[in-house]
Amino acid sequence: MKSISLYVDRGSWLNRLHPYTKLLYILTAIGIPLIGGKLWLFPFLIGCSLCLLISAKTLRQTLPLIGFSFTVIIVIFLIQGLFNHQNQQLLFSVGFLRFYKEGILYATRIGCNILNMLLSFAVFILTTSPQELVDELEKSGFSPKFGYIINSVFQILPQMMATKDTIMDAQRSRGLETEGNLMVRMKAFLPLISPVVMSALTNTRERSIALEVRGFGRKQKKTWLSDRPKHKEDRVIRVILIVLILATVVWRILSCR
Amino acid sequence: MKTIFKTKLNTATIVLIPACIGINYLGKLFASLLKLPLWLDSIGTCIGACLGGPIIGAICGAANNLIYGLTTGDNITLIYALTSLGIGFVVGILARLGFMTSFPKALICACGGGIAAVVISTPLNILFWGGTTGNFWGDALFAATQAAGMPVAVGSLLDELVVDVPDKLLTLIIVYLILKGLPKKLTALYDANAKIERLD
Repeated sequence: MKSISLYVDRGSWLNRLHPYTKLLYILTAIGIPLIGGKLWLFPFLIGCSLCLLISAKTLRQTLPLIGFSFTVIIVIFLIQGLFNHQNQQLLFSVGFLRFYKEGILYATRIGCNILNMLLSFAVFILTTSPQELVDELEKSGFSPKFGYIINSVFQILPQMMATKDTIMDAQRSRGLETEGNLMVRMKAFLPLISPVVMSALTNTRERSIALEVRGFGRKQKKTWLSDRPKHKEDRVIRVILIVLILATVVWRILSCR
Repeated sequence: MKTIFKTKLNTATIVLIPACIGINYLGKLFASLLKLPLWLDSIGTCIGACLGGPIIGAICGAANNLIYGLTTGDNITLIYALTSLGIGFVVGILARLGFMTSFPKALICACGGGIAAVVISTPLNILFWGGTTGNFWGDALFAATQAAGMPVAVGSLLDELVVDVPDKLLTLIIVYLILKGLPKKLTALYDANAKIERLD
């Protein structure tokens, strides 16, 4: 069964890092360009994220993510470059399309922001197992019920995907058309989704009874099966990241004068 | 007022939330498999909202985007956690007010959910994407309004409106049909106003 999580265990130093440290990195990577307000900060942080991804040996998994966001960025470039309201200076023209400097600059800013967010999140997503994140959240006082919600999504989804395949085959064999014009495809949606949804909902009843029987609703403090080894790097990296954020704030205030 | 927000946070509702999140994912998957120009990724949120009330709906919506954003790398959805939260909340309130009891009323409920989505998404779109939504038809309209010299906010609002309202209409029609087919012994689990009768 295929998991929806993109996490891969490469045994790298990023895998061993505490999830919170990586979350702090996301905050830093997104925060610094927004606080600093300079365009050149984006490429700098995008470079940082890329280096981290390479060092964690996960660059190959990142490429599809970037590919997906590229279409969005291209659309933004087209629309802003052609139609932005501040457009005055003509930059270049392709045929009858005129691209303006102001719009392109604005689009660059947005595009960099998207890429920066995407890559900093990729650092977290590709190196942190959801299970570990949930465990750490619970250890710092998060409700175990919400921990269950997150964990259970990962168990339920592969099951639902299997049901989905069965139902698609079953309905097709009964002569349901799933290809054709828009109306045909719209009509196919309900017969496909409703059996899956129904079975998913009826399963919740059994699942809740099973959980209740095993003491899910108990209020007592729970214990953990595995203990997480502590690392010295965590503290060092956290301090560096916080210092970086504070330094940007100070720099911005000084440069405003 | 009290009955609208009344929420049972027992095991049954906790189990409902991941199921709804899974349904959201499936809706999106089927929509892309059938190449429909809509998202249809809030079916589960709406089911959660109709069964469990506004609070469960809001939790379903927010948890949905947070989980997918933090695990599948689709972190664009992360920003729209607020939108999903709003949809779940509004649909939940309307469902508790009795707007899911008949088909025409369900359509009103869908419009409510759609408007909630538009109102919350538009500022996010402008802030993060300069106004586009990532849906082909919506963005074509946005480009047209920008070419006509309309303000970005109006263009973006229209962009969201053409995509989100039909999307929520179809979503809630599906939800209405599904909920009508659910057995009573299941829906009774989530009924916050249900009372246990004692025979002694």
